[in-house]
Amino acid sequence: MESSNQQQQRPFQPTQSGGGYDRVVLREATGKIRQLSRKEFESLPLRERVSHLIAGTADFFAGGMSVSAADAMKG
Amino acid sequence: MSSSVQSIDAINAAADAVVRRADARFDAHRQEIVRTTDRMFAWLLVAQWLFAILLAVTVSPYAWQGKEKTVHVHVWAAIFLGGAITIFPVALALLRPGALLTRHVIAAAQMFWSALLIHLTGGRIETHFHVFGSLAFLAFYREWPVLVTGVLVVATDHFMRGILWPESVYGISNPEWWRFLEHAGWVVFIVVFLILSCRRALRDMREMAERGAELEALSENQWRRSSVLDREAAESGRR
Repeated sequence: MESSNQQQQRPFQPTQSGGGYDRVVLREATGKIRQLSRKEFESLPLRERVSHLIAGTADFFAGGMSVSAADAMKG
Repeated sequence: MSSSVQSIDAINAAADAVVRRADARFDAHRQEIVRTTDRMFAWLLVAQWLFAILLAVTVSPYAWQGKEKTVHVHVWAAIFLGGAITIFPVALALLRPGALLTRHVIAAAQMFWSALLIHLTGGRIETHFHVFGSLAFLAFYREWPVLVTGVLVVATDHFMRGILWPESVYGISNPEWWRFLEHAGWVVFIVVFLILSCRRALRDMREMAERGAELEALSENQWRRSSVLDREAAESGRR
């Protein structure tokens, strides 16, 4: 798995579908990094998803490219 | 307390607030649907009452005992029994819209209306379609227990009248004892799919509320970032 730093350095490219994501990397407060599919992320409790979005500790990817959280949430 | 701990506490508090608002939005949406459906049934119940009176007056207005003409018992049944079935649920829909009791009373009343209309038409099989239409309307509540109440009422009605007064429900005097099971089976058939659609609709509503919460969380994140940038700009300006 790539480190989250490498993934963050990728330039932002909007997805061709106009939003959405297929993978999420969560950076926990403990320093642990979790990689989840979209389905796994959406299955997390709402409280946990919201905490990551507020803290900005969720990095979204579509087709291997980094997308902003705002763009990811569009699709 | 360190600033990072304070920051985690602030994020947790903000997340709790966002989730609470999402729950409140979901509940409000659900309550709005239930209240709207209560009002719809208030109109429908009154309309059915008027229709039943019209039906009784048109189809069988008079009874004859020899040369003596009297108003047929169906007319009185439509007016008074129909009124008894209608008034209580309509009052609940107007006075206590959205209450759990209201929708279950409405479900029972709607099924009693099916029973009365079936009776007034002499057990015509076509009038039994009213049961299926009613169940579809009850699914507007998006709550499967309401459908269960409806099924229990209509199955009990068919069972009891099938034993005590079979002409009233099947139009024949000697139906098989298990005839009510055949009717109930078709009712269960449609209700299974209606329950699935209710659950699906609720899940969609929940997802909509959660999507709203995620967007709210994003905007909270943007606000926090811009606050930090503002603070840093102000501090560098002071230096």
